[in-house]
Amino acid sequence: MEISRDAYRAIEDIVGVDNITDDPAFLDSYAFQWLAELVRPDYSHYMPRPWAVVLPASTEEVQAIHRVCNKYGVKIKPISTGWYHWAAPMKDNEPTLQIDLRRMDKIIEIDEKNMVAVVEPYVTCAQLQAEIMKLGLNLNIIGAGCSTSIVASASTYFGAGPSSYYMGNNSDNLLGQEWVTPAGDIVLTGSLSSGCGWFCGEGPGPSLRGITRGNMGSRGGLGTYTKCAIKLAPWYGPAVLEPQGPPPAYRLPIPENTRVYTLGAPDWDAFAECYLNIYDNEIGYIFHRQFNLAGADLAPALWLTYMRPEGTMNDVETASKNPEMQKLAEQARISFQLILHCRSVEETRLQEKILEAVLARTGCYKIERLCEQDFAEFSNMYLQRLGHKHCNFIWAGGYMGSWMQAGIPDFVKNYAPVAIDGFYRDQKRDDYLVQCGGDALMGCGSSIAGGGYFGFEQFVSYDPHCQESVKACIKHMDDAIQDERDHGIPLGKEYIYLMIGWTDERIWSDFAKMPQTFVLHFQRKIKAAFDPNELGDRNYPWLPIGMGQPQAIAAD
Amino acid sequence: MALEDFRADAMRCTRCAYCKWIPFDHVKSWRYAKGCPSIEYGKFHSYSAGGRLVTALSLMDGRSTVTPKVQDSVFKCLMCGLCDVSCKLCRYDMEPLAAMSELRATLVADGHGPEQVLPVLEGLRDDFNMLQQPREHRGDWAKDLGLKDLSREQAPCAFFAGCRYAFDGELGHVARASVRILKQAGLDFGIMGEQESCCGGRAFSMGHREDMGTRASQNLAAWKKAGVKTIITPCSDCYATFKRLYPAHAGSGIQVLHMVEIVDQLIRDGKLKFTRTVDLKVTYHDPCHLGRQGEPFVPWNGVEKKIFGQAVAYDPPRPRYNGAFGIYDAPRNILKAIPGIELVEMERIREFAWCCGAGGGCRETYPEFSRFTAGERLDEAQSTGAEAIVSACPWCERNFLDATADGPVKLEVLDIIALVERAL
Repeated sequence: MEISRDAYRAIEDIVGVDNITDDPAFLDSYAFQWLAELVRPDYSHYMPRPWAVVLPASTEEVQAIHRVCNKYGVKIKPISTGWYHWAAPMKDNEPTLQIDLRRMDKIIEIDEKNMVAVVEPYVTCAQLQAEIMKLGLNLNIIGAGCSTSIVASASTYFGAGPSSYYMGNNSDNLLGQEWVTPAGDIVLTGSLSSGCGWFCGEGPGPSLRGITRGNMGSRGGLGTYTKCAIKLAPWYGPAVLEPQGPPPAYRLPIPENTRVYTLGAPDWDAFAECYLNIYDNEIGYIFHRQFNLAGADLAPALWLTYMRPEGTMNDVETASKNPEMQKLAEQARISFQLILHCRSVEETRLQEKILEAVLARTGCYKIERLCEQDFAEFSNMYLQRLGHKHCNFIWAGGYMGSWMQAGIPDFVKNYAPVAIDGFYRDQKRDDYLVQCGGDALMGCGSSIAGGGYFGFEQFVSYDPHCQESVKACIKHMDDAIQDERDHGIPLGKEYIYLMIGWTDERIWSDFAKMPQTFVLHFQRKIKAAFDPNELGDRNYPWLPIGMGQPQAIAAD
Repeated sequence: MALEDFRADAMRCTRCAYCKWIPFDHVKSWRYAKGCPSIEYGKFHSYSAGGRLVTALSLMDGRSTVTPKVQDSVFKCLMCGLCDVSCKLCRYDMEPLAAMSELRATLVADGHGPEQVLPVLEGLRDDFNMLQQPREHRGDWAKDLGLKDLSREQAPCAFFAGCRYAFDGELGHVARASVRILKQAGLDFGIMGEQESCCGGRAFSMGHREDMGTRASQNLAAWKKAGVKTIITPCSDCYATFKRLYPAHAGSGIQVLHMVEIVDQLIRDGKLKFTRTVDLKVTYHDPCHLGRQGEPFVPWNGVEKKIFGQAVAYDPPRPRYNGAFGIYDAPRNILKAIPGIELVEMERIREFAWCCGAGGGCRETYPEFSRFTAGERLDEAQSTGAEAIVSACPWCERNFLDATADGPVKLEVLDIIALVERAL
């Protein structure tokens, strides 16, 4: 569909000539996205090319851009720090303006007393954490790592991370928001809308959390979030993190009020028991199953090689054949990381005693080598800042997360073996997935504030440069869906990834069979109210009138 | 290598954006978290390493062509290599800096290089220097110093001043101070004088590789004739060129030392003693070519292989340049040894230092961008409370001197060797 040059010029008038482009190579740099090859025709690495890319500098500019797009029928797709195929335009035949928010990169306010920070979309977790630690505060950094936008995780996606266990998810931590609806209205939520400041997401004033983000967030499908306030948590560590050593495995010294462990469990039952005991006793600051992303067979060989600056992937291969390393891999097969970080040294000692009792009771144990100072300091750095999350791609440049259903420990311990067996089967089918053992399950110890409810994501590593490897990953995604159906387990992350490549009709057909379809009908009404010209994309899901059950609610 | 050889790098880039930031573990503030001057100035993703990898892919696949904007995004990059360090924090299968260098060379070969550098390159070809100065004046800085002339005599060591120290009158004293220190240490060395030729490193970084090759051949032949086994230079650009590019180009077996390595060793051996106090609070700027790009060259001619099914490895193992083994401690040791000097660190240091803005041909091609980059660094230096910014590269110092002359930050700009001489 041809869009009038008037639309381009109108947007250029808003942001200035240097802040908009439709140069094809520039557009390709936005179309090229992680996971695209899993869903696009011919395994292309490109999502649909945007019609243009614009760099607004303020909420007012975003609003004006939305209004131009409404006038000329151009779809909108905001992107901040940008990761995932769904950050790009969705359809080839729908001219879409990519709104790159990188110029909106300010920390607006840090309210130390009320433990609230207000940020623009291009402020990363790392930047805010560095500033608030100086005030004895911290924030939940999401599992994708500290390179991510706080506004993105809080306003438009799930927002879980290793510290959610202590600090809550960013979906929970979201307070006041400033939202430019697709129609071009500026909406303020919670206390902000009453002129009372950013401190509360629910009021006084309209609490629109359920509308603006719901559970999964709209992933750029329902307008542009231009500011948000995020709830902060206490930090009892140094005002400035001072990493030590050479790259890549920087190490963070462990202060007296902190303990860093990698703990092992003899089986999944013991793991679940251990989790529940730790949770029930309210100990721990960070709870995460991190290093298993490399796969249980290879994780120790990889990470101990990674700690050597001159280490290469070839060294990992050599290390993996070492009997001592294999013994360590067995010891760490069902393992996770726990950080105790307390207000005082005395409290740390108390938590330590509680942990010892929990380990004794559940049969879980400290993995000696991985609790030694070098690895503990590396783990401390990794998990406190989450600045190595690109290691998700360390094997071959491609990873796709399957499974990741969240639930109580008994639910997780029951699906973990299914996920492991299925992944192992898929790895053994041929050589096109990284052969790292069936258990590459990674995940944080909480999917809701305070823990007790969590999930694991299967880290499926493939080579995006090898088409057979891409096909093997897609096959695994299909297999995982089938495994989930066969075992009565809700569909996982692979499903929402694959969906990006499907037609609306196929998605609606699937949605219509899901429980609680009234949510999707309610969302259709929300979309009609805030996005009458359908500028947003299907990342904000809904169902057409008449599809799904119950009919009485589905009807308008 | 050819651009096509980097297709896998491009296809394995995940658009994680690490290349835009300093290693996240080291982020200490909102203000100084950013690592890539190019994306900070150009703003669109194409101005990052990841963006350039996509540009390369898009061009190779015929999805786009070289437009003025593409040219701008490819060449408005300092080739400082911060992106390379940050990317390799988590990856063993990516070479973003090498890929960007190849993209540049390809564009230059296809006639798409920026015209602004052409007069500089003509000067290089005619007068063997990057400052468009008559070659017969190259040795003027050393007149009356009584140094061996290696175009006629033999010595195991050659002192290589480099274009900037040789021709930039404001900085020439550093070369003179250097040779005084070497003489005092009793080293048997000489200089090539007007026969010295530019190292060619800056031409290489501009995408004009043949010019570097010509310079390398000329220099290596001259050193061989003079019996030179060791090159000593106070210029970090020259240092990295000799250390990394020459061996890759012609298999040079010459030992390469930067002046800071010599001075550090002399201090540790007790052969250099300071007699004067220099009461100054300083901060040290790591030159890219001494630090992250100054790692020793390791020959490699291998191929990719797969292990564990699809994990990417190399046969033989590929050397890993990730900034870990650059020269960082020697200059700091020197500063700490000078009586009266108080060294205060900036936030972005060592392998993740912010660039001075002079590299990649940007000083010549995009002076505003170059000045912006220097200004950012000076702002960071000032935030430490330092009275002076010290470096070990004349290109950094020239860029800082220019930026302090007409910018908001007023700091003394000093070469570390000049500071050493002040304390002797």
